[in-house]
Amino acid sequence: MPASASIQDIGARYEQARAALSSPNPNLEALKPQLSQLKVGLVQLAMQSSQAGSDPTFMALQRNVTELGAEFSIKTGDIAAFERYLAQLEPFYFGDRMGLGESKVMYPLIGLNLLRMLSENLIADFHTMLERIDLEQLQTNPFIVHPVKLEQALMEGSYKKVWQARSEVPTPEYVFFMDILMSTIRNEVASCVEKSYASLPFDDAKSVLFFSNLDGLLKFANERQWTVSPAEKRITFQTAAEDARAFQGESIMKQTLAYARELERIV
Amino acid sequence: MSTNSAASMEVEATLEQTQAETRRILLEGTWAPDAAAGRNAVCRHANITRSIRFVQRGIAAAETHYTYRALRTLSSLRKRFQPDALAEAIAAYGACDNAPATRDCLAGMLRLLGLQPAVGPRAGACEPEVCLFLGLLLLLHLLDGGHHERGVELSELLIGLASGSQRRTLDPIASRIYFYYARFFEVAGRLSDARPALLGALQAATLSGMKETKAMLLTLLIRNYLHYKLYDQAERLTAKSDFPADAPNNLLARYLYYLGYIEAIQLNYSQAQMHLLEATRKAPSNAATAGFQQAAHKIYVIVELLMGNIPERSLFRIRTLRKPLLPYLELTRAVRVGDLNRFQDVVSRYESKFLSDNVLVLVQRLRHNVIKAGIRSINIAYSRISLRDICLKLHLDSEEDAEYIVAKAIRDGVIDASIDHEKGFVRSAEVHNVYETSDPQYAFDKRISFCLGLYNDSVKAMRYPESNHRKELAHAIEAIKRERELAQELENEDYDGDSDEDAMDEDL
Repeated sequence: MPASASIQDIGARYEQARAALSSPNPNLEALKPQLSQLKVGLVQLAMQSSQAGSDPTFMALQRNVTELGAEFSIKTGDIAAFERYLAQLEPFYFGDRMGLGESKVMYPLIGLNLLRMLSENLIADFHTMLERIDLEQLQTNPFIVHPVKLEQALMEGSYKKVWQARSEVPTPEYVFFMDILMSTIRNEVASCVEKSYASLPFDDAKSVLFFSNLDGLLKFANERQWTVSPAEKRITFQTAAEDARAFQGESIMKQTLAYARELERIV
Repeated sequence: MSTNSAASMEVEATLEQTQAETRRILLEGTWAPDAAAGRNAVCRHANITRSIRFVQRGIAAAETHYTYRALRTLSSLRKRFQPDALAEAIAAYGACDNAPATRDCLAGMLRLLGLQPAVGPRAGACEPEVCLFLGLLLLLHLLDGGHHERGVELSELLIGLASGSQRRTLDPIASRIYFYYARFFEVAGRLSDARPALLGALQAATLSGMKETKAMLLTLLIRNYLHYKLYDQAERLTAKSDFPADAPNNLLARYLYYLGYIEAIQLNYSQAQMHLLEATRKAPSNAATAGFQQAAHKIYVIVELLMGNIPERSLFRIRTLRKPLLPYLELTRAVRVGDLNRFQDVVSRYESKFLSDNVLVLVQRLRHNVIKAGIRSINIAYSRISLRDICLKLHLDSEEDAEYIVAKAIRDGVIDASIDHEKGFVRSAEVHNVYETSDPQYAFDKRISFCLGLYNDSVKAMRYPESNHRKELAHAIEAIKRERELAQELENEDYDGDSDEDAMDEDL
């Protein structure tokens, strides 16, 4: 283990790493060990002095390194790591913010986290986090407004708006999650389409499901087991004819037994 | 045998004594015969003394209803508060040597009143309950007068005493002390500082089985978390801890309200609706609880709207609810009609009101419900309608949007229809006779289980307060009867005197 570095050393190395990450074509492989070194250095510092928790420079440095880690995980596509970094950043962003001011990348990162939750369909977590953000930021900050509008569109079902929003992202990092979101949406639309249409011609199906070519459409149709008829160029959806009047024996039995049990208990 | 009869006599005597005591306490308000010297002083703070007698009675009999009676007198004592009467009461009970913590507490109270701790003649036993009761009265006075900092100081002193002892009889008084502790911190704006003490107290209360304090502390902690919007932590607290089921109704109502609010935030609307409805039912609906009923009903209305049901018009006509719920009535109207513009209008007009009620985010989730209601009403009215017309009616942006929205509505089960893509219209499915489905069965089942649950709860809640005495009395009467019979048998049997002589020999 190398001798533990001081705050200045770590600060200098952090600046280097940040500059490397912000460059147009960052060397991600080389950055990874640098990042781990930074984290280890911070932990060693924290263990050395017990007042590290109240030292503002140390806290600021810790926050910056964690943010760097979050951005790095986006670039490498590591969603689990991103989630972890954001969880570590929560005390820095909400509440009394450990006595620090607002960070520059705070709202972009929060927006990205919201988008991640949307893409994984964690709507409850999305709303819980939304509650903690200030009201004016919700309405004016472009980084936050984007996921909020997306969520509204998703709830209504206007998936076209979501598809169009793909090109209107505030920062390029959003595109990463938008792609994941698209595949989630595609499944949603498919299930909607199954229930509402009897059949669709190929071209219409292609546009409805946001496919750009026919092969993607056919592969998708096979996955979802739709009947494809190339002759008429139509896809027919299986209408699951549920008989609403089916006799649901088991639930009726359970209910009646419960009534009998309760009635017997009446003295 | 003789001891048996003596015991039975004692039992009878005690019963009479208790009744006589209570009568005397209620009518006269004096106690021991050696209070002649302080009789004037006693009469001046007779009300306080009377309440304290109840508290002491409660400790002696280990019955909570005496303590509750004393606590009920607090509201009238609060109105007629006189500092010197309280000071005398404190002085009368303050000179006890066997409980230094209590004595310091009482001295602290006198200091806060601005008076000197006097050395009184009485050196009787003073229980922590009495001290806490007096402290509670002083807390109320400080709260009424707006002396927040002194209130904070006093409440910290009092909970130090309360947490030090583990007596069960402390339970009702301690729970109220904690309530005012948290309240003082809240009005002083330092609510997060109260959290560590509350958490520690919760642990202690759970371990020593003080149910009412535990219930009160849980509600206070949740309120604390909700104030700082820490919904995750609040939810975890409710999930991991066990709210005592036999807590008093007002605590239960508060807890259910907070629980319902947290669940509404986390999109668990059906549970939220159940809990909020229960909260409004458990709380009494009189002038003092009007505020609580208003708050609970506001969230209830929003949760109903989010679930897709329209709350009844009669709800908004209740006298205490009419004015506060007016924005919510407008909101309900907009959602019911399904008009998005009207909805936006209402939201922007009453935005500040919704913000102060902490429901703004919930209200904004209603946008989707407006569209759903609109689609539903269109579907019921038309058997076939073109997508273009839907788009115009709902003020949507484009036909494609309308198509997607209708498809999602069909998938979610809001409407029963099918879309014809080429010809561009939506055709409603034919209406089934609802009695042929199992929906009526399901609705009946919900109501039946509610009624059965209510019945079971009321059976469990029944109380038989005098049963202990009656049982003892019954046993005593039995014992006397048996004795008399035995005595009679003995008399009838031995007339030849042999066993008497034997008995006398044994005695010697």
